[in-house]
Amino acid sequence: MNCKDVIALLADYLEMTVAPETLLSLEEHLAECGPCQAYLRTYRRTRELAAASERAALPSGMPAEMKAHLRAFLLARLLAEES
Amino acid sequence: MSDDADLLARLASGDASAIEALMQGYADKVYRLAYGVTRNEADAQEVVQDVFVTVFRKHASFEGRAALSSWMYRITMNAALNKRRGMRHDVETSLEADLPTYLADGHRAGDRAYLLADWSGTPEAELLSRESRAVLTRAIDGLPDRYRAVLILRDVEGLSNEEVAAAVGDTVASVKSRLHRARMAVRERLTRHFHGAS
Repeated sequence: MNCKDVIALLADYLEMTVAPETLLSLEEHLAECGPCQAYLRTYRRTRELAAASERAALPSGMPAEMKAHLRAFLLARLLAEES
Repeated sequence: MSDDADLLARLASGDASAIEALMQGYADKVYRLAYGVTRNEADAQEVVQDVFVTVFRKHASFEGRAALSSWMYRITMNAALNKRRGMRHDVETSLEADLPTYLADGHRAGDRAYLLADWSGTPEAELLSRESRAVLTRAIDGLPDRYRAVLILRDVEGLSNEEVAAAVGDTVASVKSRLHRARMAVRERLTRHFHGAS
């Protein structure tokens, strides 16, 4: 297994879904390859940081004013369908 | 009848309380996801409106086999990605420059010191500094929409690969590939930032 093979499998490796026979050669390569070790660690950290950053950056919910507007819009639509 | 099917049946019969229940259950989540894809309040608001109108129009096609939440995810992603279609970030080739490159034998190509750059142990305070967060945000903003959508659904919302595939109307293999490429592209931006800073 080479770096390209290992990096292609990193997501599966983190999810622990790599087949046992493949896992052995993947870990053999990892044990001896500095760049792949660095890649794995920074890939894993990226996943954590991206999730944390997005959780903080995304709005917790719809602004109240927008919600009121949507509610009014939907009620009007419901009434229009009934009539 | 399931709670989901009951809610839609009430909506079909013109019961206004169903709107409230639907909004309480989904307005915030749909808005967050729509914002995650569109990165824009006004667009996210339009997407939410489109989603709820679609629920009105198509509730009869909800078969109850999947959870209502899965159906809502699907409609939301469809509406959000449609809104962005044709815009700059829909170009999927833009990731290539941020993916690893290899020699003919499959080993990594590039400067050895850069390949060995490992910033994963960087102190939290530095990782979360204003500058680093700006790099991260720019990297995520710059992902093609379908990649960012998958990253958000999988890594932020915690959906399974199968649930993400159902939400974006794609295969599990394609979802996994996009997710991996998205993470690699963001990782590359962070590595350039931290390696350059060291």
